[in-house]
Amino acid sequence: MSELVSAYLPEFIILIFIVINLVFSLFTGTSVYRISKWTTLLGIILAIGSTIYLQIDPEVFAFDNMFLTNIYTVFFKILILISGFFLVLLSRNMIREKRDRASEYFSVFLSGLLFAMCAVSSVNFVSLFVALEALGLSCYLMLSLNKNPNAKQLTFGYLVQGAVVSSFFLMGLSIIYGMCAQLDYSKVSLCFSQNPSQILLTFALILMICTMLFKLGLVPFSSWLPDTFEGANYPIGAYMSCIPVLACFGVLSRILMTFLAYTFTMKIVLAIIAILTIFFGSLSAIRQENLKRLMAYSMSVQSGIMLLGLCVFSVYSLSSVLFYLFCYIFVNIGAWAAIILLYNSAKLEKLEDLKGILYHRPYYVIAFTIILIALAGVAPTCGFVAKLYVFSAVARSGFVFLPFLIIALLSSVIMIYAYWRIIRAMFRRIETEIVVDTKLISSKYILYACAIASVVICIFADKIIRLCQLVAYYM
Amino acid sequence: MNFLSLIWLIFLPVFAAIVIMLPVYPNHQVRIRRFAKYFAGLHFIYACLFLLFFDSSMYGMSFEKELTFFGMSWLKTLGISAKFAVDGMTLLLSVLTSFIVLITLFMSKMHIRTKHKLYYSMVFLLESAVLGLFCAKDMFLFFVFWELLLVPVYFIVSQWGNSEARGAAIKFTLASFVANMFLFFGMLILYYYNFAVSNVLTANIESLNMNEKIYPMWFQIMVFVNFLIGFVVRIPLVPFHNWYPDIQSKASAPVNILLAGLLNATGVYGLIRFNMQIFPEIFKIFAPVLMVWGLINIIYCGALSVIQACVKKMVAYSNIAAAGFIMIGLAAMNQTGFNGAVFMTIACSIVYSALFVIISSIQFRTKTTYITALGGLGQVMPKCMYLALIICFAAIGIPFLIMFAPKLMVLAGAMLSNLDQQLLVKISAAIGLIAMMASAVYILYFFYKVFCSVLLEQWKSIKDLSPQETSVLTALCLVIVYFGINPMSVIQIYQSVSSIILDVLQV
Repeated sequence: MSELVSAYLPEFIILIFIVINLVFSLFTGTSVYRISKWTTLLGIILAIGSTIYLQIDPEVFAFDNMFLTNIYTVFFKILILISGFFLVLLSRNMIREKRDRASEYFSVFLSGLLFAMCAVSSVNFVSLFVALEALGLSCYLMLSLNKNPNAKQLTFGYLVQGAVVSSFFLMGLSIIYGMCAQLDYSKVSLCFSQNPSQILLTFALILMICTMLFKLGLVPFSSWLPDTFEGANYPIGAYMSCIPVLACFGVLSRILMTFLAYTFTMKIVLAIIAILTIFFGSLSAIRQENLKRLMAYSMSVQSGIMLLGLCVFSVYSLSSVLFYLFCYIFVNIGAWAAIILLYNSAKLEKLEDLKGILYHRPYYVIAFTIILIALAGVAPTCGFVAKLYVFSAVARSGFVFLPFLIIALLSSVIMIYAYWRIIRAMFRRIETEIVVDTKLISSKYILYACAIASVVICIFADKIIRLCQLVAYYM
Repeated sequence: MNFLSLIWLIFLPVFAAIVIMLPVYPNHQVRIRRFAKYFAGLHFIYACLFLLFFDSSMYGMSFEKELTFFGMSWLKTLGISAKFAVDGMTLLLSVLTSFIVLITLFMSKMHIRTKHKLYYSMVFLLESAVLGLFCAKDMFLFFVFWELLLVPVYFIVSQWGNSEARGAAIKFTLASFVANMFLFFGMLILYYYNFAVSNVLTANIESLNMNEKIYPMWFQIMVFVNFLIGFVVRIPLVPFHNWYPDIQSKASAPVNILLAGLLNATGVYGLIRFNMQIFPEIFKIFAPVLMVWGLINIIYCGALSVIQACVKKMVAYSNIAAAGFIMIGLAAMNQTGFNGAVFMTIACSIVYSALFVIISSIQFRTKTTYITALGGLGQVMPKCMYLALIICFAAIGIPFLIMFAPKLMVLAGAMLSNLDQQLLVKISAAIGLIAMMASAVYILYFFYKVFCSVLLEQWKSIKDLSPQETSVLTALCLVIVYFGINPMSVIQIYQSVSSIILDVLQV
């Protein structure tokens, strides 16, 4: 019992707060939304506290060895919860539009966090499948909250493709069960090493990995990305570019490291996927006029870079990817905070709407510029250190990956141009009547906090890199 | 001596930039400008103190200092540390940087009319970036400052230039980012190959030296070419030079001074520190190519300089032509040539900044930079004309002015060089000598067109230099004359650097 508690307490706390929010949703009234927002924040803080407090043993299993808690999962859970914390604060316009539905929104929001955490922790294909499906389901629900008639059409593609991809996952699952009669990672990996017909098993794993590729918006499955983001509400867009990315990288690195670490072909295939994503993502990004679509491509390119780091398969590269994720979360949330601030105050969502904003809100512009510089991976921000670390992991792995490295560097220059277009628009001379609402205090401070964090992380990068190396070692 | 810390030297401008940027600092242009000028003056004095306490007989780096945050060094796990140190060459370049920024701030008053906070903080950020890249002991630290430099340059060019400045600024930034991509790639593979060979994860420039000949030839050439592309775009040499006249002609006048003084020096410094110090043998193989390349630069850009319609473009092209002499000096691969090339870098920065100071004061009075719209200004601006005459003579390389000694040393070095392709080198040196004489053409053409021909009606009422401009130009002329008469006072400071770099080949 005590093992169950120490492994599952953060998830359990989140679960309790989901129920509390559902109870709140029975009531209607103007103050409900505020109460449920604070309860949600409280739940997330309690979950973070319990995650940090309980981590004493190196490894704790629960639920019949389906669920594992160790430093690796704790790292991901804390990242998920921290980004959840910021995202709650960014959700204000969701709440403002549907005050009476705020509790329901937050319960769906929290269940997304819950299943993302479960996915990272699961060491069994069934629990993984359940967690990923439930995470997808909460995303579908949140996407459907947008009442704009156009939005339904735009987000429908995500639902359909998601269904197709999860059927891939099921097929892979059934093949693995048929071959090994096991679903635990450790036992399946044993079966892998003993089984002479590895090709079928590898095929099954690739089918499963497709789910993760889909959620990350990597190349064969990236077509949903811009449309869905355009159709989503702003906080949902921020949500979809953080929580599923964290969950999928948590799962993906574990699966790749457990099963495919020694297959050279797989490395190359993944590297090609990553490179195609980075290259075409950055090429598409430079044509976008809508900020949300631009952020969608940005997410795709960033996860492509992380996949490129991951496909080298070493502890060093894994730690570099963890560090990249750490930086990505702060920078990405900062960028979304800036965009949300802009939209909420003046309903601006196009690049050209940003013109002349420097003259009205100079500090907003400076903070956003720092964030964009960090996203582009230019010194002296955490984005640069992260890029340096990931690319050095790729360079370290041998000369086979050098062509990929060259293309990745080239695409990162293209991506710099894509981000620079936003900066250029903000610094334009044409004066327009933009008034960014300073009442949205939470978004504003999140933006400033992330801008400062992106410089501070660069300065104190060493400590975080050590942490990431420890985490990668313990996986 | 303890009060001399490179950390302060490099990061004080950042603090100044932050102070100016803070919301509590009054957005009042006089107070911002005054603070900036006083700060730059104090910074220059502080930089000069380094020069005073510098022991030029010492072999290697001095004033070494590591930037630590609460006892932790930066990225220690990756073998990257924030260590700063100077040798004679970089110390001179740092003092020069501080000096150029001071001059720029003195000249900024007339031209910068809007967004004072942004302008002055960006100038300080640029200063900090340039100082950082000169003093960095670590490859990736160098790269951080190298990339950081692009941000302020983009803003100061695009925000205060003329209507076309935006396009020019992005052209420069993108070209630099593409070049940086090569540089970064070269650094990454060097870093890891070094790790694979010596099993020490380090990016320290000194420990990456190729003394032990552990790298295969093809690898060295690959990294060398990557570095070369990265730096040549910044110097700039001929096929990659297009951005330089472009931003110079479109940027605001004080920005011209800043860019002419700082940008080219960073490129030359990178070439010396990386290509020459880490791969001396490959540099020796490539030296004839670089020499001919420099020569092409001198002739091509010199010719282009004469036909420009814009005064700023004219001076910018002649600046690129002068960079060709630096390349010849470096490619000579001997003490004389190297010392001449470093001196030439410093002299170029001072002389071309001074020329842009003159253009700045002319542009302020006439609001034009087109050569057809100017002429005969010597009649109404005699003070300006005499000071400009000294500077133009310096740019040509008249004896007893700053550019004479380096040009002579460069060409003498090329003549005496013992590279393999003797005939090619000798011919290049001879052509360089002729080109040096010919450089008088475009400089004097500029002087003649601006100051000597017929005075146009509309300029009859313009005033001569203000006391502030006069003092700035006089200071520059004093520097030009002093180091022209006494070149050894500069050369002896960095003499040991050349022996460190070139000794590798003699052994």
